[in-house]
Amino acid sequence: MTTDNYRSHYTFAMDFGTSDFKFGPITCGETPKIVNNRGYFPDRKSIMYRAFEPTADIIVGEDIPQYLQSTEELATRLVYPMRNGVIEKGDETAWQVVGALSRFGLTLFKHEANNGFRGYYVVASLSSVSPRYMYEELLDIFKENNQDGCVQAVTVIPQPFAVAIGHGVTTCVVIESGHGNSQICPISKYPIRAAQVALNRGGGDANTITSELLKDAGYSDLTKEESLIRKVKESIGLVPADLDTAIQETKRAPRKYRAKYKVPGTRVEIDLEKNSWSRFLIGEYVFNPNHEIFESYFGRGMPRPKDVKMGDIIFRGMLDFGDATIASVERCPVELQPLLYREILLSGGNFSWRVPEGLEKAAVDAPTKVKLLLRDKGIRNVSVKMTKSPQFSVWHGCIIYGFAVPDEYEWDWQRLEGWMKLSD
Amino acid sequence: MTDLPIEERVLHYFLAMGAQPVESPQNAPTGLSLILGQEKVHVVILNNDVFLLGSKIIESIMSLISLRDSVNQLYLAAPRLLGTTVEAEIFRSHGIGLLLYDNRRIDEAVAPQTFRLRGPEPTIPNQGETLLNELAALKSMYLQMERDVSKLREELRGYQKIMNSISSVPERIPSSSLLPQESGYAGPSAELPSFFSNNPWLEVLSKRGREEASPIAG
Repeated sequence: MTTDNYRSHYTFAMDFGTSDFKFGPITCGETPKIVNNRGYFPDRKSIMYRAFEPTADIIVGEDIPQYLQSTEELATRLVYPMRNGVIEKGDETAWQVVGALSRFGLTLFKHEANNGFRGYYVVASLSSVSPRYMYEELLDIFKENNQDGCVQAVTVIPQPFAVAIGHGVTTCVVIESGHGNSQICPISKYPIRAAQVALNRGGGDANTITSELLKDAGYSDLTKEESLIRKVKESIGLVPADLDTAIQETKRAPRKYRAKYKVPGTRVEIDLEKNSWSRFLIGEYVFNPNHEIFESYFGRGMPRPKDVKMGDIIFRGMLDFGDATIASVERCPVELQPLLYREILLSGGNFSWRVPEGLEKAAVDAPTKVKLLLRDKGIRNVSVKMTKSPQFSVWHGCIIYGFAVPDEYEWDWQRLEGWMKLSD
Repeated sequence: MTDLPIEERVLHYFLAMGAQPVESPQNAPTGLSLILGQEKVHVVILNNDVFLLGSKIIESIMSLISLRDSVNQLYLAAPRLLGTTVEAEIFRSHGIGLLLYDNRRIDEAVAPQTFRLRGPEPTIPNQGETLLNELAALKSMYLQMERDVSKLREELRGYQKIMNSISSVPERIPSSSLLPQESGYAGPSAELPSFFSNNPWLEVLSKRGREEASPIAG
């Protein structure tokens, strides 16, 4: 195969996920470098800050834990810029974090201007629902931070598009579900932006319902620790093929479905006992929050996922994944629709649901659940798969995009594609 | 001067030229042995009785010739009267010098030829050892060549197997493999990650900007 020698060394990808920032040059191979997509703003007035060497205004990367102070501070000083997939236009602190992470990533793989190095071809990936101002802000960040000429050209592509590229499918529907939201994006050589559907639901909502279940089971004290809730969700949460059937099955064989979780390194053991059937609510809530059983939780104060407008996009709160997929596909030409249903790709950490051995009768994995939801709506000839590498498929797609797109294909604000040249 | 025996006079003749008397070689005929410069000289002297014993001349010449291997220069000293009867050419042809004397003087009638002595055979130092070393080196080279040839044979067999397994018609290179090339950089090509293999996007994306955008693209 004829390869672009320069970009086979100096293509650089950055995936700004809701929780993690995955970055690195093509030479990383299969796996990029990962740090949390967050930044910490140290308290400049604190004695600790003054006592030690002057630190940066914002800390990113693996050093953050060294600077963390009281739990109360975290809410204000620890910023997750992409938590909801979209950064508000005036949210300067969030953009500061994005800028710091970009600099951090490029500095970690800094190249001296020798051996032919004349700057990376950087491909950054944002949520597909990112409004145009996010593209403008991000590209400005690269322009401002390129005094050392470490970036030759930069481009931004939507995450579902990158997933399709990384998976090697040119006509498909990508459902990307992260911490804060989910995006359904049809692809036919280009992302079909007009057909995108966004959901105001993601892994964070699964954490919310898990927290409610823990309260009901008498573990209210543990619900303040978000990381613990996440671990409980990952350990006991299940996706039901059909919620009513799964609840009946659990009540019929409670021992078999009993949900227990021992917190590593502690004496704490969570046991849902007779409420173990509720473990199926965690997965169901992600895929379909419309079951009447959730009304009781909404009635007791759990926030109902709302429709929200961010930029030009309305994030639907209560639309299930089946309806959302159909809504998206039906905005595409009719002759394209069957082809899109034949390749539905699931990507993102919110689709990593396991099926414990022996529980296959009631529990299913994410692709099966989406398939069942579509079947209920009369869509039968479908193929739903997880991406080959759910965690890194966006980064893989960005690397391929940066490697293959011709150098002379210049940035186009209408298409939101192409290279924006930063260095000569 | 004439009162001195002829032997003394001939000795004085050579001593005057810087010669020194030395012991005669083994089996040498009676006469004088001398060193003159770097040369060994032997002189046979004939007295006046040579005319009475005619065969003595031949005997003396023959005995002198027998000394060629051990003496550089040979002389026969004879009365001057003998010079009138003996052909000087005989002495020249055998390389023997002829001294003629009378009561008053000694003259060199024929200059002697200087014979190169055949010394002991020059020995070639460690000749046998050198030969053995050369033989050992040759043997080693031969064994190495044998090994190389065996290796080459093996490689050739391998190539023949590969050649047999390859179709005679070369496969067409798919156009998807043809990606844009950048000029001006001649660095080595890196090995691409596995997610590049058989990825149709490589062809699709490589045409960006060279085709119309899809009408359905948002």
